[in-house]
Amino acid sequence: MQELDDTDKTFETKELTISLGPQHPATHGVLRLVLHLNGETVVKCTPYVGYLHRGVEKLGENRTYFAALPLSDRLDYISSMNNNVGYVNAVEKLFGIEAPARAKFIRTIVAEMGRLSSHIIWLGTHVLDIGATTPFLHAMAAREKILDLFEILCGARLTVSYPRVGGVRNDISQQFLDELYDFVLDFPSKMDDYETLVTENRIWKDRTVDIGVISREEAINWGLTGGTLRGSGVDYDVRKYAPYDAYDQVEFDVPVGKKGDCYDRYLVRVEEMRQANRIIKQCVEKLPAGAVMADAPKFTLPPKDMILKDMEHLIHQFILITKGPSVAEGEVYVGTEVPKGELGFYFVSDGTGKPYRMRVRAPSFVHASVMPRLCEGGLIADVIANIGTIDIVLGECDR
Amino acid sequence: MMAVYASHNDLDRMGIIPRGSPRQSDFMFVAGTVTKKMSEVVRRVYDQMPEPRYVISVGSCANSGGIFNSYSTVQGCDTFLPVDVYIPGCPPRPEAFIEGIIKLQEKIRDEQFRWSRWR
Amino acid sequence: MQPIAIAENIKDRFPEEVLDIREFREQVSVTLKKGRIVDICRYLHDDPSLYMDFLVDLCGLDYKGKKENRFAVLYNLYSVEHRHRIMLKAEVEESEPSIDSVISVWRGVDWHERECFDMFGIVFKGHPDLRRILLPEDWEGHPLRKDYPLKGPGPDMEWKGFTDVLDRAKRYKEFDWYQK
Repeated sequence: MQELDDTDKTFETKELTISLGPQHPATHGVLRLVLHLNGETVVKCTPYVGYLHRGVEKLGENRTYFAALPLSDRLDYISSMNNNVGYVNAVEKLFGIEAPARAKFIRTIVAEMGRLSSHIIWLGTHVLDIGATTPFLHAMAAREKILDLFEILCGARLTVSYPRVGGVRNDISQQFLDELYDFVLDFPSKMDDYETLVTENRIWKDRTVDIGVISREEAINWGLTGGTLRGSGVDYDVRKYAPYDAYDQVEFDVPVGKKGDCYDRYLVRVEEMRQANRIIKQCVEKLPAGAVMADAPKFTLPPKDMILKDMEHLIHQFILITKGPSVAEGEVYVGTEVPKGELGFYFVSDGTGKPYRMRVRAPSFVHASVMPRLCEGGLIADVIANIGTIDIVLGECDR
Repeated sequence: MMAVYASHNDLDRMGIIPRGSPRQSDFMFVAGTVTKKMSEVVRRVYDQMPEPRYVISVGSCANSGGIFNSYSTVQGCDTFLPVDVYIPGCPPRPEAFIEGIIKLQEKIRDEQFRWSRWR
Repeated sequence: MQPIAIAENIKDRFPEEVLDIREFREQVSVTLKKGRIVDICRYLHDDPSLYMDFLVDLCGLDYKGKKENRFAVLYNLYSVEHRHRIMLKAEVEESEPSIDSVISVWRGVDWHERECFDMFGIVFKGHPDLRRILLPEDWEGHPLRKDYPLKGPGPDMEWKGFTDVLDRAKRYKEFDWYQK
């Protein structure tokens, strides 16, 4: 009877510490969260990052401007096209050259395709984390189509390295344009399917409305960007504020939320996908003719067929590849709008062919830092909703 | 990695079901760059798996370090793990992924003494 | 407001703090002494005509052998309302690599300062939780300094956590069911 007497004691509660990750399937990579729990409530949340730190900034300093391009693919590996576009825009600004109009339109097309594919993954995994499997399977089928288009374009599915400093690697084919246009016409109906499954779903709304609320001023003060910031009602979009590529020649709206909770951020990103589709459609219709590489022989690699035929071009290519171009001394920061937020590249040049300092301003890094603010005081189940809603990729966060 | 599990490529039909815990798993994918900070975690996950256990190394970065030859990356996860199958590519195509799994299945079929004889 | 006008504004307000103003490709960077950096940032954040409410980026710079003061901390500021940008550079000497933290002005600077400490060893005074962020806690050296080799300090000075893993892998090998 000894055991039975023990049950008369009052039930003691104590704070529980659990470690979530870094290999947990719901954390979108190798994020580790140490949670202090009081019952179901999160008292303290401490994120640990750096499990994917590969030293991209240090590697960039030891390579020429051309050779560091593939490093940018592997920052945010699910939307590598956007990272490439950001990188080449920054390098072009440093070099003082400009890509021709056709290349700018092509870059806009592929960047928006990258945005679609990234947002599709975000939608699929975010919904999957919260417990719905069907939208994930539907969404990944649409993403396969985009990856197939990338493959027609440049041969790679994920790490593309398609935009180059001064333009793009090759011109786009008519087959690509036809298939892309079919996809663009078809995509809004797919979006309707996803929204039917998710938007008014009662469980989905229970799990996201009024979860992870962050106000307008606070969101700016924390340095949030992209859909995470626009969900709080700030219409900050680099594509509108400081247009690069062909964004000043196309029409699109910047959706903003009201309350700044998970549900508003969801609505903003879903609307962004529709807008991305609209931008691609306009770009395909308006696509100008002309060259796809800038005429700046000191800063761009010569065309491949000339290298094989002509000695001068071969020597020129050799010098550019081994020594790198000679760049004016200075420093430049260029931010671009990638699916996650504002991706900035900051270069310091000392006149040689390699960057003296290459800095990557990664949106996921800032967004991961806001996790304690969003999670503390909420329930442990909402932590997973919050990880999904800030839309982070740890390859970019850790660099 | 994600594309292989999802529709279109569907790993379930190969008999691959993702599990939430290493204690219920037969093999693990090492996908992506293994950093020195992560190596301890990877090794711990491997040590928690029950025998017989297998490791598939996915992508150039896990095989050999790939383009990231720097202070914080491990130059190939086979420095501290016994790897059974290497899948090349950065990142590998889903077809390569499936090929690697078929290779592992062939390897398991040929093994004599690791599995019990009433398999 | 034009970026050069902002730089002039800072110079009028804090004449003895500004060392240099540079313009390159329409972007202006102001080099400052590190002493009153919090005051300058507070002024830029609060002044209604400037209102730099968004700290885009903070990063360290290492000018080893190029400048008198070896390190610099770069503040990249933006105003969402007025849509203008300015870059501030505070010089930090090698003998005493420390600077005041601006976390009281922008909350989002938290991890940027931790990363700068991790990569360059610049100490931010007043930061509530200054630990290494990307590298392990007991890592030696600061990788983005120019005198740190790209491939690390070599196999003899390997980080202890990693050598432990290698040892463990060797030790556990004998418990494998068969030798591979």
